[in-house]
Amino acid sequence: MPGSGGSELVDGELIAFVVLSAIEIVSAIMVVTARKLVHNVFWLAMTLITIAGIYVLFRAELIALIQIIVYAGAVPVLFLFGIMLTRRKIMEEPHESQ
Amino acid sequence: MSGHLIDLYGWSHAIASFLLWLGSLPLELGNWVAINLTGAPSPGPLTGVIGFLTSDGITSLTAAIIAINIMLVWAAALHLFTLMWIERKLYSRLQDRRGIMIGLGSFDFLASTLGRIPIIGRPFRRPSHLGTGYLQNLADGIKLIQKEVITPTNADRWMFHVAPVLITVSTLMAFVALPWSDGMWLMGSYETRPLGCVTDCTSVPVNQWGILFILAVFSIAPLGILIAGWASNNKYTLIGGMRAAAQLMSYEIPLALCVIAIVVFSGTLDPFELVRRQTERPFTFGPWTIDFLPNWYILNPILWIAFIVFFISVIAEAERIPFDIPEAEAELVEGWTTEYSGMRFGLVFAFKWLRALIGAGLISILFFGGWTGPAFVTLGVENLTTPQAEAIYILPQEFWFSLRVYIIFIVFVWIGWSVPRIRIDQILNIGWRRLVPLSLLAILLAAGARAWLGGF
Repeated sequence: MPGSGGSELVDGELIAFVVLSAIEIVSAIMVVTARKLVHNVFWLAMTLITIAGIYVLFRAELIALIQIIVYAGAVPVLFLFGIMLTRRKIMEEPHESQ
Repeated sequence: MSGHLIDLYGWSHAIASFLLWLGSLPLELGNWVAINLTGAPSPGPLTGVIGFLTSDGITSLTAAIIAINIMLVWAAALHLFTLMWIERKLYSRLQDRRGIMIGLGSFDFLASTLGRIPIIGRPFRRPSHLGTGYLQNLADGIKLIQKEVITPTNADRWMFHVAPVLITVSTLMAFVALPWSDGMWLMGSYETRPLGCVTDCTSVPVNQWGILFILAVFSIAPLGILIAGWASNNKYTLIGGMRAAAQLMSYEIPLALCVIAIVVFSGTLDPFELVRRQTERPFTFGPWTIDFLPNWYILNPILWIAFIVFFISVIAEAERIPFDIPEAEAELVEGWTTEYSGMRFGLVFAFKWLRALIGAGLISILFFGGWTGPAFVTLGVENLTTPQAEAIYILPQEFWFSLRVYIIFIVFVWIGWSVPRIRIDQILNIGWRRLVPLSLLAILLAAGARAWLGGF
């Protein structure tokens, strides 16, 4: 825990924050740049879960858990349902990709 | 005797200190040689490394890794194999056959020696009929590891291989917050009760958000299932994945609402506190108290609706048979697991048993008093109420918790192999039109009981 010991060599929370933020930024970029819609939803879920990790760093465990239940568990699945039920072709046909 | 057999925190710290001490021995030796060779009074060149290795932070980190590994072996190997064995043996017996029989007695060298012992070596002719079948699942696992992992043509390769990992990891994460006894747990901390006491303090584990954490990691799996079904590029897997995700998402709602009923009733989300509330006082219902009954929530009529809804939801969450239309063999081959082969299939196959294991553990903690077993209490003549610490526990708490889990799982298997599976629209109808209103009613009842009858 930073600031408590006084003789810490590394700041664990800072490392965790930097790693989580890096994953989150990369995932957020992937949400808008990935080409298949299901990939976008997967990266969206990744973004939301890393946000939950940052909430844990804020000592807000309840919000983090609710974030995982609602945003990581339910919202991407609803998006996936919407995508799969509304698009006629869910994966491009083999002759199209050539 | 303190009731629990495994003190995971203490054990892992002891093992970590020992390992780090062992690892620093050669460095100490080198340090000693260096100091003696140079004859310098200054600390040797390796002192800093040794100090780093034996520091508190590194010891805690190593202890955490060791504790996680012990819990993984305990939950995902020992209990998973036992659950599979119970299921396969029990449904064979329900179908009037013997079922799997490959056990230790099936080894030739053991059969020849065991065969001569009257009770252990039963007088069967063939060695393969000597065992109890416990090793069959291990053999199946080894077979699955040896098999080739096939990626289907035009499958989304990356998602196809990520999905089983996502499903299995998110399910295994629930064991972080699922305690097996007062000492065998990963997530939580010790707190001294009663608060602010000076003498006669007892240290008890607490984990404020334990049950909510289990629900949170339960809700990640549908995403993985949907991705697995989509990435396989197969109509059957896609339909199976959609069905599985729809079913798991629908039944998470009554599951969470029943947990809310328990929370309203007891006022805590802490699994340790829930178990303490259920066992440290006799059965209480408003003004009435029954001394010889424990305060298990299953015994309380207020929570019977919550229990029934929770039980059905757990069966559906584990995709067990009345609700296993997502993998219906007859119409969807194997549902969303069709295209997986080798150990990938092993992972997505074991996922159902892991969820059943967690679900049975949750039922046991929420309704059946968790891991407490009977105890001999030394009764003083003038002081009838003896503190828990002086009780002599007959068997460790891990045994009682495992026993409850196994009995609940046996009921799962019993229901599963006695009823036919129901259609997906019927599943969703039951979930949304019956279980959700019933669980709301359970919350209402619990809130009313809390308001008019006082706390429990």
